[in-house]
Amino acid sequence: MMRKTTLLAATIMCGLSSLLVPVTASWAQVPSKNEDPPGEGNGTSKDALPHPGSWYGAPSPSAPQAGGVNAGNIPDGPPAPPSEVTPAVAQESSNPAHDDWPAYGRDSNATRYSPLDQITPENVGQLKQAFVYHTGSKPGPGQANKWAAETTPIKVGDGLYMCSAMNDMMRIDPATGKEVWHFKAGVKYESIPYTAACKGVTYYTSSTVPEGQPCHNRILEGTLDMRLIEVDAETGQKCEGFGYHGEVNLMKGMGESVPGFVSITAPVPVVNGAVVTNQEVLDGQRRWAPSGVIRGYDAETGRFLWAWDVNRPNDHGEPKEGEHYSRGTPNSWAAMTGDNDLGLVYVPTGNAAADYYSAMRSPEENAVSSSIVAIDVRTGSPRWVFQTVHKDVWDYDMGSQATMMDLPTADGTVPALIVPTKRGQTFVLDRRTGKPVLPVEERPAPTATDVPNDPRSPTQPWSVGMPRLGFPDLKESDMWGMTPIDQLYCRILFRKSKYEGEFTAPEISKPWIEYPGYNGGSDWGSMAYDARTGILIANWNNTPMRDQLVDRTKADELGLLPIDSPHFNAKAGGAEGNGAMADTPYGIVVTPFWNRFTTMMCNKPPYGMITAIDMHTKKVLWQHPLGSARANGPWGLPTHLPLTIGTPNNGGPVITASGLVFVAATTDNLIHAFNLKTGKEVWNAVLPGGGQATPMTYEYKGRQYVAIMAGGHHFMMTPVSDELVVYALPDTH
Amino acid sequence: METVHRPKSAAEWATFAVAVLIVLLGLPLLIMGAQLAVLGGSLYYVLFGAAIITGGILMAFGRVAGAFLYLAAWLCTWPWAFWEVGMDGWGLLPRLFGPSLVAIAVLLTIPVLRRTQRETSLRGSAV
Repeated sequence: MMRKTTLLAATIMCGLSSLLVPVTASWAQVPSKNEDPPGEGNGTSKDALPHPGSWYGAPSPSAPQAGGVNAGNIPDGPPAPPSEVTPAVAQESSNPAHDDWPAYGRDSNATRYSPLDQITPENVGQLKQAFVYHTGSKPGPGQANKWAAETTPIKVGDGLYMCSAMNDMMRIDPATGKEVWHFKAGVKYESIPYTAACKGVTYYTSSTVPEGQPCHNRILEGTLDMRLIEVDAETGQKCEGFGYHGEVNLMKGMGESVPGFVSITAPVPVVNGAVVTNQEVLDGQRRWAPSGVIRGYDAETGRFLWAWDVNRPNDHGEPKEGEHYSRGTPNSWAAMTGDNDLGLVYVPTGNAAADYYSAMRSPEENAVSSSIVAIDVRTGSPRWVFQTVHKDVWDYDMGSQATMMDLPTADGTVPALIVPTKRGQTFVLDRRTGKPVLPVEERPAPTATDVPNDPRSPTQPWSVGMPRLGFPDLKESDMWGMTPIDQLYCRILFRKSKYEGEFTAPEISKPWIEYPGYNGGSDWGSMAYDARTGILIANWNNTPMRDQLVDRTKADELGLLPIDSPHFNAKAGGAEGNGAMADTPYGIVVTPFWNRFTTMMCNKPPYGMITAIDMHTKKVLWQHPLGSARANGPWGLPTHLPLTIGTPNNGGPVITASGLVFVAATTDNLIHAFNLKTGKEVWNAVLPGGGQATPMTYEYKGRQYVAIMAGGHHFMMTPVSDELVVYALPDTH
Repeated sequence: METVHRPKSAAEWATFAVAVLIVLLGLPLLIMGAQLAVLGGSLYYVLFGAAIITGGILMAFGRVAGAFLYLAAWLCTWPWAFWEVGMDGWGLLPRLFGPSLVAIAVLLTIPVLRRTQRETSLRGSAV
């Protein structure tokens, strides 16, 4: 009897240990930043702070800027008062030539719609690679991969213009990919914030330099190290008449900072002669991070025009000597949209700094965060504000470029603005007033939280007149896995988390589920709109997050310190994940809501979708999962299965007049073409890297091309490359 | 007196391996399933885990009833899976795919277990 029991026990023990071996092994392989939130009761630590309180802070906001912050060593000069813009001429983007793609969103309306029709649903299957162009920007030896180029080239006349992930600017022959000129921006690795990205350059035609002279047509960009640079479109030489030898220092007046804290990654629009700049301020670092100020500069001369500084609303000049733009204000990192007719720029704003804690925000900040703000480009004063999240503590900052369109209504045609959000709520506003054209309801939102003195908004806005880009709230039975065992693991995580549906409030004592997650819904890819058919195309994500606030001692145990702290350790936490949120009582731990042993999401597929909405009826025309499992599986292994599971995706769609939709974006490293009317996939091709960028299309010498930057994305874990891949139909001549 | 059946042939070794596998798969289901039940979640996993561990142990003892117990638990999983997620293919995958693979293995052990059980009882009556 004894022997029997022993044998049975031995069998069970043996089995148990063989189960534990792989579990522990995979644990060890997971880097610390992939660790789950600390869990129930572990958000606080009973230990005293290991260091004096001041250790956790960062330099005083009034401290001088660190070396290298003024990357071009540009002499600043005295603080400038507001000034008048040089009168502008009409720009290519206001009335694009048939063959061209002169702006990031193709035209100043940001439609991502091209009138080209050589490539059709019938012949798209014959597309062949026409050429590949190497930008030359990818991680060097020993450099951590922070790359995600996200670039969409522009095409005007004989030139294809683009930037590399590190802000070099290039002109390329549109037919051959041969480089015509290459401007070296000299951005240093230390200046990369969360991501080395350059979404695009801006084409500007001068009002003062005659045609045929250098810098009549110019290529313009904002850089990762906060410079505004203008070069001649013909030669790539800097425009001496712009700023200081072609450059403007955008760190002027920003106060204390370090390289990599503040960056420009989106194209800067030119609206009635004013270059408007916004900047990404690294998330999660500290409450008193550098300012989110929006500024206007003269496109001709680089002269300062105005500033919109949230906590100095009546002062549109540069800060006085020894002062700085107000710190920690909502930063805007997405592409803005310029409205030349109304003289407005539509600014998608993010959160005030310290994304997950709102108790220290000013009423002025609360009024404009996670909003679309229409700023008068002559004065820098906001004309209207529409808020998409009240007192945002979920990092639902505005990632998408808003799209302008004319919406037919019962009261006539309304100049409207389509505003996508990470929540998957798409707001449609009147551009003149910011008032909703389609109904918006304030609905009750959860308010229960254990965070002291930080009450949540009792209601949040819902765009009930537009189809929602999202699924219903999560249930335990939505948890997923490959087998009942990993599914069970996720069901336990779900039950151990705080979850009360969308807008579940942050919690210290246990992790909470944030759904939709901060990757969207809609993110920076934005949407495409075809005014002829009234079809709006949106690709979006379905990826919940699991977050927890931690007290300062716990944050210290996790190694969380702000980027400008003398003790900062880049390996412990950066943007978009765990953050110190210094100057506040709490740090933040943010993870995907996933099984960290298999690295598979805990919710069931799809994780990415594409939707066509008929803007005449506001109904969904078609909708299906986007992206296959070929390059994604458990433990990040490729499955090579052509199953359309629907993957996370970043990068927008393009519509052509022939009735095609081109979109890459997915983590299967494919570029896809869909039939605009039916949603049927009619073509795809494998890219040399992740296609996390918005494609574009142009015609040159009678031939239509489709271009996609296959730069990859470090956070999406897709392969990095420096290749712009351009497709065309086989040359029949 | 009952004892763990000592495998002699390759078929018996394979059957024993299946039995051990079922016990190993059942343990996390039982333990984590109990945790989920305490948290107010689904009772399915703890029940399924308990059933297949019992089935696996019986199979290790050379009892064909163990195989039938696994198969019964597996059959009950089907209506539960459809009740939870309906006709959603991705939703059905974790609930049905793995357990069905194991069910095929268990089906193949039935003839072996039947033979074992017959021999054991013959030997038993001969004593």
